[in-house]
Amino acid sequence: MERGEFAIIGTGEVPCGNYPERSEFEIAYTVAREAIRDAGIDVKEIGAVLCAQHIMSNPVNDYNTEMVFGRLPEAIGARGCKITCMTSSGGASSFSLRKTAEGILCSGETDTVLVVHAQRFSVFSPNEQAKYFAVAGSDVEWEVPYGMTYNALAAMITQAYMAHTGTTIEQIASVCVANRRWAMLQPNAMFNKKELTVEKVLNARMVSYPLTSLMCNVLADGGSAFIMTTAEKARKICDKPVYILGEASSYSHRTITRAKIKDFGSLSENLAPTARLAFERSGLGPEDMDIYQIYGSYPCIQLIVMDALGLWEPGTTGALVESGETSPGGKYPVTTNGEALSFGHTGTGVGIALLVESVRQLQGKAGKAQVEGARFLIENTGGGAFMDCHFTVLGNEIPG
Amino acid sequence: MAKFEIIDIEVIKSMMNLTDEDLKKPLPVPTKWSKPFWDAAKEHRLILRKCINCGNIDHPPYLYCTVCHSDDHQWIEAQGKGTILAYTVNYFGVPFPFWKDLPYALGIIELVEGVRMISNIVDCDPEQLRNGMEVEVVFDDVTDEITLPKWRPVSK
Repeated sequence: MERGEFAIIGTGEVPCGNYPERSEFEIAYTVAREAIRDAGIDVKEIGAVLCAQHIMSNPVNDYNTEMVFGRLPEAIGARGCKITCMTSSGGASSFSLRKTAEGILCSGETDTVLVVHAQRFSVFSPNEQAKYFAVAGSDVEWEVPYGMTYNALAAMITQAYMAHTGTTIEQIASVCVANRRWAMLQPNAMFNKKELTVEKVLNARMVSYPLTSLMCNVLADGGSAFIMTTAEKARKICDKPVYILGEASSYSHRTITRAKIKDFGSLSENLAPTARLAFERSGLGPEDMDIYQIYGSYPCIQLIVMDALGLWEPGTTGALVESGETSPGGKYPVTTNGEALSFGHTGTGVGIALLVESVRQLQGKAGKAQVEGARFLIENTGGGAFMDCHFTVLGNEIPG
Repeated sequence: MAKFEIIDIEVIKSMMNLTDEDLKKPLPVPTKWSKPFWDAAKEHRLILRKCINCGNIDHPPYLYCTVCHSDDHQWIEAQGKGTILAYTVNYFGVPFPFWKDLPYALGIIELVEGVRMISNIVDCDPEQLRNGMEVEVVFDDVTDEITLPKWRPVSK
């Protein structure tokens, strides 16, 4: 991909939270139309429609099956659509969908791609959701029989990070506090009414030591969409296209025991080369970024990814977040939609929500959360049991 | 400070309408390439798949050596010794079959052979857990068919 070869020109999103009456299909159709209107295009221009997989299959009228069978282009009237498919890489889906879109645009089959995500957890009973999420991500043969959970994995990484860097549990909690401050500026965020404090976070129920319930995710219904085009088309029809300036990817493992790291406190060392490569390809450095959009899923991961960016001394980012510098009004805006923890965890949608927010920020459409004059940002995502890591530099101009 | 309260399993059972099936412990289903590991565990032996061609040890094991793709392998006896690289203690939000075991410890264990495993750390006070702690393998005969290797601190 050449620098600035593709652009995202419009987005759509629905409120995130508990909406049992709002079907996945309603979400998908809603965000699709919103993105099309936001992009200022006609639905006929869309040549490819890509969907993110819905986590948890619904035995009655399954969304995933319907998307695989091409329901979406028909339902939105995408008469010019030639290609439709569903993809997923869990939390990294924003990236894998975008890479798929890039490939389709590169092929020349179309100059306009629509990407859609929709998720409704609330159609499942609390029993079903609890059963699903308790084992999701853990290896059924080598981990689940021991009572392993996602929360336990994040807790182990947190414990090791704290032991390795001297980061305190108060500093870990301050990541949740900072995320909440941003979510309170987001009309679509699930938790946007009540402020969090370090004390509240630490006094919540213990889940997996040292993580309390306010450091763990809540499953939410939600969805978002975006329109991606060639830069050539974007320049013709869009006031402020958001260009993809540089990207880099890495994959590590399925099961964390096979990650190539000397210890679990220094995970950021593995991610730093990928961040560096994304920056190199963009022709910019971490100091040129106005926003740092990190999908961590757990507070410690946000710090680990921040450590990898090459802007702050690794291990000091806990203190940085504690100081307020990553909160609204601070010098280093981080994850301006409140992250999965405060925005709501929509399965494959968390990274997509963050990408959509990134585009809004660079288009000046971020409302109360707007970082003034934002031109460039670095966006990060990953999926699985911390299986992979992707960095993307986005900008509303192409640096000279 | 934090709420360490464990909700009683009977409360969870009624809240979530749990059946006996919901409470059955999930067990490993051995695959073609992992069966030797689980057969040995039943005999209270910890073994690892080592490639004869390049010496790589794969854990978890796969169909062929993940480094050189060779099928030529041998199962070696592990010493059953390792150290804790990271740990946690679960108090809440676990799969229902494990609720009555709360609180329980999990860890990433690095064996002296260089491979790593996720497992329970047993026979220990969670407060005493430390990274770098030496552990030794113990075998938990959970059913007639399956034995799970677990780890306990080496007593000095």
